[in-house]
Amino acid sequence: MDTLFRLVSFHQQQQQQQPDPSLNSTTSRTSSSSRSSRQNYYHYSHQEDEECFNFYMDDEDLSSSSSKHYYQYQPHVSTNTTNTNTTTFSNTTDYSYSFSPTPPIPDFNFEFSPNWSHNLLLETARAVAENNRTRLHHLLWMLNELSSPYGDTDQKLVAYFLQALFSRVTDDGDRTYRTLASASEKTCSFESTRKTVLKFQEVSPWTTFGHVASNGAILEALEGNPKLHILDISNTYCTQWPTLLEALATRTDETPHLRLTTVVSGRPNNSVHRVMKEIGARMEKFARLMGVPFKFNVVHHAGDLSDLNFSELNIKHDEALAVNCVNALHSVSAAGNNRDTLISSLQALQPRIITVVEEEADLDVGIDGYEFVKGFEECFRWFRVYFEALDESFVKTSNERLMLERAAGRAVVDLVACSPAESVERRETAARWSARLHGGGLNAVAFSEEVCDDVRALLRRYKEGWSMAQCSDAGIFLSWKDTPVVWASAWRP
Amino acid sequence: MDEGEITHAFHQNLTASSAASNNNNPPHHVLKRKRNLPGNPDPEAEVIALSPKTLMATNRFLCETCGKGFQRDQNLQLHRRGHNLPWKLKQRTGKEAKKRVYVCPEKSCVHHDPSRALGDLTGIKKHFCRKHGEKKWKCEKCSKRYAVQSDWKAHSKTCGTREYKCDCGTIFSRRDSFITHRAFCDALAEETARVNAVSDMNTSLGGNIGYNVMGTSLGHNMATHFPSIFKPVSNTDETSNQTSRGLPLWMGQTSSQAQETMVNSNLREIHHQLGSATSSGTIYGGNSLVQCSNLPPSNNYQLSWVFGTKLSNTSQELTTSTTSLPLCNNNTSVPSLYSSQHQPHQTSSNMSATALLQKAAQIGATSSDPSWLGSLGLKCGNSQGQDGNNNKFSGMYGSSFVLSEADNSACDMSQMHPLKRRHILNEESGGGQTRDFLGVGVQNHLPTFINQRVDLI
Repeated sequence: MDTLFRLVSFHQQQQQQQPDPSLNSTTSRTSSSSRSSRQNYYHYSHQEDEECFNFYMDDEDLSSSSSKHYYQYQPHVSTNTTNTNTTTFSNTTDYSYSFSPTPPIPDFNFEFSPNWSHNLLLETARAVAENNRTRLHHLLWMLNELSSPYGDTDQKLVAYFLQALFSRVTDDGDRTYRTLASASEKTCSFESTRKTVLKFQEVSPWTTFGHVASNGAILEALEGNPKLHILDISNTYCTQWPTLLEALATRTDETPHLRLTTVVSGRPNNSVHRVMKEIGARMEKFARLMGVPFKFNVVHHAGDLSDLNFSELNIKHDEALAVNCVNALHSVSAAGNNRDTLISSLQALQPRIITVVEEEADLDVGIDGYEFVKGFEECFRWFRVYFEALDESFVKTSNERLMLERAAGRAVVDLVACSPAESVERRETAARWSARLHGGGLNAVAFSEEVCDDVRALLRRYKEGWSMAQCSDAGIFLSWKDTPVVWASAWRP
Repeated sequence: MDEGEITHAFHQNLTASSAASNNNNPPHHVLKRKRNLPGNPDPEAEVIALSPKTLMATNRFLCETCGKGFQRDQNLQLHRRGHNLPWKLKQRTGKEAKKRVYVCPEKSCVHHDPSRALGDLTGIKKHFCRKHGEKKWKCEKCSKRYAVQSDWKAHSKTCGTREYKCDCGTIFSRRDSFITHRAFCDALAEETARVNAVSDMNTSLGGNIGYNVMGTSLGHNMATHFPSIFKPVSNTDETSNQTSRGLPLWMGQTSSQAQETMVNSNLREIHHQLGSATSSGTIYGGNSLVQCSNLPPSNNYQLSWVFGTKLSNTSQELTTSTTSLPLCNNNTSVPSLYSSQHQPHQTSSNMSATALLQKAAQIGATSSDPSWLGSLGLKCGNSQGQDGNNNKFSGMYGSSFVLSEADNSACDMSQMHPLKRRHILNEESGGGQTRDFLGVGVQNHLPTFINQRVDLI
């Protein structure tokens, strides 16, 4: 409701119109008011408001309500603002905001149609792209009514996307993101991080898929070398490495020396520092227990990874080097050729193998207009898959899932409301990454049969719904109900 | 394998690791796989080199009438009877213990050299498959691969049934999530402190339960009766027969049992036997011997679970041999490593076993002579330096945690101790008192008779 009030006042500020009694009155209504009262509003708005429209282009969403005949979709271009970028529709009726628009009452049926969150959010995105403020407000109001971070998947998605859209519309994206980030940092500790990450790995192969594939490829590539160096550029909190250490200890004839350098990127963050320190201590202890000679280093890198100074990483030539990038590439700014620069730097290290794990989505959300809507839609699709997978993997009351969803919510704010140049969540598809990696002078290394078997065996240990598929470009996909979600591949110079 | 062969094997082997006697074990790097250094055959034995084809051939004996193939000539002869063909069953020729040893046809293999030949035909076949063969058998559940069908079968039986329990109390059905949990578990932090304390003690003490046991047994001419134990063969010169009196009886009883059951039952038997032994005044050494012999099978089990592929090879051999050492060590070391509150679960010991072995491999791996015997204060034929062995031995067995006292008598005590402890653990679920496996304060838990035993020695 807070959002709603802000929305109302924003609306009033922006529009400088008379206070809108109807809007105010609507705030006192509960979201599920009787149909009749809504219908009254409908008619009212129809008479006064040219902006009658139904939100749904498809007929199927229309109920048998007689009101449907009144509602033709009429996109409007806002006349108050002069910086409308796109007009996908040519209707330029001059529209004055003088009367007080009431939020169009949603057709009840739409609320329960399976794709309501998708449709509603898409419409809102369009309104944003067209800069159609009135409509936008209506939609945001509706979204607010329907959102809940504790509800079902649709309601959750609406909640997080609403937050992002709102901060975008109010030009507040960066601040919102920082607020959310610092709020989560306050509760961040080794304990909480460990709990969340390990629980996630226990109930879902989302992350372990990449770990198993990468470890398998790394072990095979580095086999026989007495001294190993793994450059781990990831934010997995080293959860990938215990199984690798165990494999080194038991499956090789001569246990090699392992040096692990973890590069943690992201905003400088005290709690992450502390957590990594603790993790380092535990890893060292564990390695000692396993009997693997082990050295561990953490490098905290603020800013873009393409700035990383590799010479500072103390890479020695007598060690066999493997580079492990899990969800690291997409954190590099998509602007300019930062990503290609990073890939070239990795190639220049001449490692034996580079393992890349990325999430399969095209989240380069455009700045505005059509690009924005398209990107937004893909964003929604992606996070919907993610939320659904989370929902089915965890128990209903899981706190860990809530933490993960909130993190996803922050990512949405980053994608929708923040500047693309600074975004760290712009994922690309496997096809595009493969093109970049090829362009950087790397060749794909296929995963061996054993590794694929291990991955399949891993997936068998989880609930139904997960499968492994070959990627036509390189590597393998983890698929959730036949939708590829995570991509794992191996490369070498 | 009859005893004569074993004796020969013992005479040959100078390494301090437990022998897999003449069984085949994957010729892992000596330092690492403390357990078995097979392939130190009798120099008088006839060395046979078979071609890979012959080794892999399953049915070498063919019936001329119907072409049916058999693995053994005896079977073929019996089959020929059905065709009314003349048949003759070969009698077991008593005259020669004409020992045959086999070399691995693979040139790069350790066992290609006749001085490192393996003594059993089945063994060399399995070795060749495992080490140099294609892994055709695959476990469905965990995708582990095996070259030898029997290995695969053995694994399939236990795969997935194993539960892993962390010291913090959480139980896992999946090994990988167990490992990851373990690495970050709070229980780990406590243990390392203890481990460090212990290992310091250990290196100075050098007493491994395992080899303490061996020490006593070997010292007493038991060697011949204890197939597996150690190649440390210094027993060639047996000194006194003090302990041998009771031993043969024990041996008879125990070896038959050794093969059979699971850890728990073994341990209980051991305990019972032990109990009766002590009461009957059997020599301490004898008791320990018995115990040891019973332990290995279970140990192997654990180890094989822990080690997966690596040990799967060895586990089978070990089951048949009665290697007491690793088992003893594991029993003792495991708990010490991992429990602040002791849990009588094999799973935790499994994990520790892995760790132990790994650690062991690093610590001491160079031992090649059983000089540890000396540390026991026992006079064996080859009395060797006292201290160097300790480390090596612990290297071998990874039980760097066992003893608390630096003296030999303590060794005995600890020797008894782990076994007893194990028994306690198994029989009383949650015998919480067994906290300190390492032996700090261990004595408190030991029954009095142990002290007596110590005196004897």
